[in-house]
Amino acid sequence: MRLAGFYAFAAFVALLPVLFRDNYFVTVVGASAGLHVILAVGLNLLMGYAGQISLGHAAFFGMGAYASAILTTRFAWPGLLAMAAGLLVAGAVAWLLARPILRLRGHYLAMATLGFGIIIHVIMVQAMRWTGGPDGLAGIPPLNLFGWTVEGDQQWYGVIAAAMLLAIWLSLNLVDSQVGRALRAVHGSEFAAQMMGVDTGRAKTQVFVVSALFAAFAGSLFAHQQAFVSPDSFNLIVSVELVTMVVLGGMASTFGAACGAIALTLLHQGLVVFEDYEMLIHGALLMAVMIFLPQGLFVGLSQGAQRLWVLAKRRWRSS
Amino acid sequence: MTAPATLPDFTPPPLLVVTGVEQSFGGVMALAGVSFQVPAGLIYAVIGPNGAGKTTLFNDLCGFYQPSAGSIRFDGHELCGLPPHRIAARGMARTFQNLQLFFNMTVVENVMVGCHLRARTGLLAVALRLPQVRREERQLRVWAREALELCDLAHRAEQPAGALPYGLMKRVEIARALAAKPRLLLLDEPAAGLNDTETLALRELIARIRASGVTVLLVEHNMPLVMNVSDRLLVLDYGSVLAEGTPAEIQADPRVIAAYLGGAVQYAV
Repeated sequence: MRLAGFYAFAAFVALLPVLFRDNYFVTVVGASAGLHVILAVGLNLLMGYAGQISLGHAAFFGMGAYASAILTTRFAWPGLLAMAAGLLVAGAVAWLLARPILRLRGHYLAMATLGFGIIIHVIMVQAMRWTGGPDGLAGIPPLNLFGWTVEGDQQWYGVIAAAMLLAIWLSLNLVDSQVGRALRAVHGSEFAAQMMGVDTGRAKTQVFVVSALFAAFAGSLFAHQQAFVSPDSFNLIVSVELVTMVVLGGMASTFGAACGAIALTLLHQGLVVFEDYEMLIHGALLMAVMIFLPQGLFVGLSQGAQRLWVLAKRRWRSS
Repeated sequence: MTAPATLPDFTPPPLLVVTGVEQSFGGVMALAGVSFQVPAGLIYAVIGPNGAGKTTLFNDLCGFYQPSAGSIRFDGHELCGLPPHRIAARGMARTFQNLQLFFNMTVVENVMVGCHLRARTGLLAVALRLPQVRREERQLRVWAREALELCDLAHRAEQPAGALPYGLMKRVEIARALAAKPRLLLLDEPAAGLNDTETLALRELIARIRASGVTVLLVEHNMPLVMNVSDRLLVLDYGSVLAEGTPAEIQADPRVIAAYLGGAVQYAV
């Protein structure tokens, strides 16, 4: 069945808080992982499927977050309306940026998106009147969903889990369709894709906008969940981490990207006890994964499991 | 120009009319005013030594290059200035001298990309997996299967494109191009790298494609194949037309023999 993996994952996500009641790891780390999954799944559409790199994706994450923060604190907009405005802004910026920037390839595209990320970060720091500068904006009101106010870790876990499942479902639908095949065709051979009638410029623009929307959506939820935003959450390091999640989990696989996002979030949490050595171990683990599982965690491990299964079946038959 | 013996009783209107096409790269003239007409329903071959401008001509036809001068009319419409995807939408499809398969997909998915122009549903409908998307997915799969069956590839449909032997990969490219339901199919050296059995099967396939109503424009070095399968030939040399005619006329043309075929070689199989 097409969505079997999705339903299994959804059941797992729903069961976690039931099995572990009021568990910090589930509700807080889990919520953080959920936001990362939305970001990574969106970026994977652009990177894994369409083959276009973005080293500035934290900028769109930040646009969603700051749109929600500024509009709810300074103009008292309702949360959902502010979220919609954030999506609109991020989508419009991505659309305007896509044509000139996605003409570039490889290193040049990486440089251009890197520059874009840095510019947006500078604006967050320098536009003090609007963004609060390096100190950020505090006092973002809780999110109100049609009369229900989201409060507490438990409820936030639920909201973010639902948002994450929505993102995964949308991504699975997109990928397994003519739109998704056209994107993979752009990745495989742009010239051949054009000759098959794919408007490659349009396809790249579309996927860039979609991945920006995923990021802004996560940003808006993040702002409300934290009740505080500052430029540090949207700097270059975050962009690089998002790329790492996609590559670590396995490119061109929605569950791969999700897996990478969860793994990296857990890794950060798990390594906190090593204090100064955290980054060292973090880097070493990433290198080890790339050397031994170059297709990424998800693809590599699922292929390994398949091989073991075949081997076990053979043993069982021969005995 | 005398009417060739292989033409049918009525003369169909030309599907493709190329007039004075020039293509220069810096100071190099790759095409120096090429003119020819491809009548609908024929297998039309372009031959010439390496560097004669055959692939450049194909790239001009399909919009990958913009000709420096001249006109390309396809079914009465000017193609010069259009991007490749718009030219594809007019009913032209092609294969590539160097394989341009989507190695990140299965065989049937490759061919389904070929159906792109026949797909209608938009981004939002697809993201929400509306019922019409499911219907269209099934329809695209049926179309892709038809193209695969025409190319004897149905049994390979679910394999990754990169796992196929070279000869079959070239067939997948043909199936992918056919899935677009083109009126004109451009084949760029389809026999290159094929063994004799595969070349024979290719000859049959090209004939079958023509029989299904598709006009074929062929660039090929394999002379036995070209002379057997084509109705008319265009001979290019140094970016200019050296000769044009039926296979028999071309083989008897002293200029062609001198420039290209090299002595009085007869290709009759």
